[in-house]
Amino acid sequence: MQLFLDGIFLGSIYALFAIGFTLVFGILDRLNLAHAAVFTAGALVGIEIVTRLGVPIWLLIPLVLILGAVLGILIERIAFRPLAGRHDAHFAGLISSIALGAIILSLMQAMYGADTRRFPADAFPQARVEILGATVSLLQVVILVISVSLMIVLTWLVAKSKLGRGMRTIAENPHAAAVLGLNVGRISSTTFALSSALGAVAGVLFTLNVNAASLGIGHAVELKALAVIVVGGMGSLPGALIGGLILGVAEVLAVNYIGSSWRDMVAFGLLFLILILRPQGLFGARKTREV
Amino acid sequence: MLVEYSSLITLVALTAILAFSFYAVLIAGQLSLAQLGLASLAAFTSSLVVPAEPLFGFIPPLAVGIVFGMCVGIIAAFILGLPVIRLRGVFLAIATLAFGEMVRIFLINQSWTNGAQGMSFPKLVGIEIAWIALAVVAFWFWRLSGSRMGRAFAAIREDELAATTMGIDVPRYRMASFVIAGAVAGLYGVLLAYFSRFADPNEFSFTAAVDGLVTAVVGGVTLFVGPVLGSVFLSVLPELQRVLGVDAGWIRPTISGVLLLVVILFLPGGLSGLIPRRKSAKRLIIDPAARPDLPDLPAPGTELVRLQGLGKSYGGVHAVRSVDLTVAAGEVLGLIGPNGAGKTTLVNMVTALTAPSTGSGTVLGVSLTDSTKAHRLAQAGVARTFQQIKLFNRLSALENVLVGGYRITRDTLLRRLLFLPSARKWEREAVAMASAQLIRVGLGDKAANAAGDLSYGDQRRLEIARALASHPSLLVLDEPAAGMNHVEAGRLAELIRSLAADGIAVLVIEHNVRMMLATCDRIMVLNFGEVIASGIPADIARDPRVLEAYLGSSGSDADADAAAVLAAEDLARVTAQSVRDQDRGHPDAAPGGSTNESGATDLEDNR
Repeated sequence: MQLFLDGIFLGSIYALFAIGFTLVFGILDRLNLAHAAVFTAGALVGIEIVTRLGVPIWLLIPLVLILGAVLGILIERIAFRPLAGRHDAHFAGLISSIALGAIILSLMQAMYGADTRRFPADAFPQARVEILGATVSLLQVVILVISVSLMIVLTWLVAKSKLGRGMRTIAENPHAAAVLGLNVGRISSTTFALSSALGAVAGVLFTLNVNAASLGIGHAVELKALAVIVVGGMGSLPGALIGGLILGVAEVLAVNYIGSSWRDMVAFGLLFLILILRPQGLFGARKTREV
Repeated sequence: MLVEYSSLITLVALTAILAFSFYAVLIAGQLSLAQLGLASLAAFTSSLVVPAEPLFGFIPPLAVGIVFGMCVGIIAAFILGLPVIRLRGVFLAIATLAFGEMVRIFLINQSWTNGAQGMSFPKLVGIEIAWIALAVVAFWFWRLSGSRMGRAFAAIREDELAATTMGIDVPRYRMASFVIAGAVAGLYGVLLAYFSRFADPNEFSFTAAVDGLVTAVVGGVTLFVGPVLGSVFLSVLPELQRVLGVDAGWIRPTISGVLLLVVILFLPGGLSGLIPRRKSAKRLIIDPAARPDLPDLPAPGTELVRLQGLGKSYGGVHAVRSVDLTVAAGEVLGLIGPNGAGKTTLVNMVTALTAPSTGSGTVLGVSLTDSTKAHRLAQAGVARTFQQIKLFNRLSALENVLVGGYRITRDTLLRRLLFLPSARKWEREAVAMASAQLIRVGLGDKAANAAGDLSYGDQRRLEIARALASHPSLLVLDEPAAGMNHVEAGRLAELIRSLAADGIAVLVIEHNVRMMLATCDRIMVLNFGEVIASGIPADIARDPRVLEAYLGSSGSDADADAAAVLAAEDLARVTAQSVRDQDRGHPDAAPGGSTNESGATDLEDNR
């Protein structure tokens, strides 16, 4: 039970990261590899805010959401919008987002140096609670609550709101959406803003969980998130949630029973297997080719 | 000077070799991130076989390592390719990335590699060997680019489906590019390990794979020197900053990132896009003597296509129901019907792009089943155009037609590597054949234009030229006159008649009923997936069911136009006997007469 709960906590953070990742892929058909840099930036700036201003966690999360949204808009404007209409927009978007991610990371390095940073020891409550015979910290519960509620809000937004309808229209056919009078540029920006806001919060929560943040944390999680969104189905929000939880639990179990050096094999083995057996993922729909 | 920079210069060459490994898959439109995994497999396993002393006294240890490493790369890429080759785009990238990471984790957990502590290698690679290896790799890709194989890769990158209908076995070529990339990756792994004298599986990580991909893309994939340019750019940049005294830890990655962003945003073809392309693939060869000797087409009247009760249903929807049809060499068979009648589905079945649900069919001796591959049929002599134009947009018009000649040309890669004169002769033949087709459809003056830049009507004609370049026995045209004006449609009709006169069987779908009545030997009318009429144009024009089908359909303007033409034909028949009807009736008496009967039985069967 303890292992299972630990897995769920870890998995909910993966899911939060992956859901932002898959949102952009599902709607705009672009893989944004600067997402990892946003994750790192969220973590490092979050630490800075807490250390300097001593804000409580419930205030920190909205601040980081805003930071992420701003980064998201910048990423869309700088790395993706100029490529619109280019035949190689796919490859070029990968590379330009890698470049922008590197720039963001180097700016982080300029501000905070290359060392590992932590939240101040007394920044958050250390209380522990017993659930079903397992001990969990209050912090872990908070992490779970925050990530699940953010995911629910996002899923509702995409499924029900006017903005969400616009997003899904663009996912089907951006050209037709533009003809219908939708502001494709603004909706794309909003999508990136939402995606990155979640990515930045995921960075804070991840850092709270392991209590260490360095420039490299984003990359490790990015690889996991790729596994998560493929397992769940590219572009599927519920798929990313379930995929994240599956991966979290699987990893914790693998560390416990096989050994930590093989831990990452689980993610990639799972990923590889899913791609071979069911490329559309557990919850994805297969797109058919048109003649 | 040279000594100071020798390790940088060697690294430029090695990075370029890695970039070539990405280039090899990118030119076929695939994005693989397995290259570093393949390289590390090759590097670490080679340490197990490389001898300390020359083998048999004269084979240097490094040669053993290189050959072994490349073999490991080839075999591993092949085994990896078997399951993943059917994945596309991002999915292929992620699957290969997962493979790379799995290799890394596996090697870290092995005792013979020393795990994460790394392994030391003897220093066997210096500046000369690295650059010789790069020269060999670059030479290979240079000679590949103008060969038939190179053109097939480009075609697959631009449009897989169209490439298949040119007779290109897409999965095999995709695998070939994968395996070539594996060999180059293996070479890179071995050279790097024996150059840096130390290797740790963590060096061959996702980040390194991304660096390799970035190098290839920054260099560009339109020209074989791309990877070298990318490597020089990305390797020299940090060094230049160091020389200029830019030292703070974060400034260098920032500047590199900004420059990378600038290159990718403002130089669409990468750095190699700045170099003007070779002209040879743009010049026509008009000399008729240069054309290849082509096999004879089947004798006129030979039955090439026979369909019996062929049908296709999607779920409960019957797109095509039980169609019987024959097409003979030298005749023009028209397929008309309102929108959604099932015409395109029928020709997709004839060209094996869609497997039939019921019935049987034989096309040029190949029977149509679930497992019939479209490229096999194309090899047998079927060529087609598409309703929605499928050209290789970034290739020139002439290059498009050259790909079309895939079926009748031979692969020239090996001969090109050796500069054999026969390679040159064969390439000349292919260009001469392609030029003749371009001129035939009236695009001789636009040979050098990119296909995507041509006007709509010209794109339609280019598709026909590309199809003709395969010297087909059966040509399938799906709405060739769409988007053409009356004059252009008239010329197209003349072209179709002249192709039939050459002995080609032409199966044509078209909404321009006036043109069809004037051009076809026989016409078959489909509605709701069923044949409602079949016969010579004169009979079709006065068949009330045909007029009703068009009038009854609440379809497009094209349908309304067709109805108007049919109504006018009806009127013309009442007022005066059309001379054209008589003219058409006689020459087609032989094939037309017999099929007329089968057409009539079709109708009986369907009721």
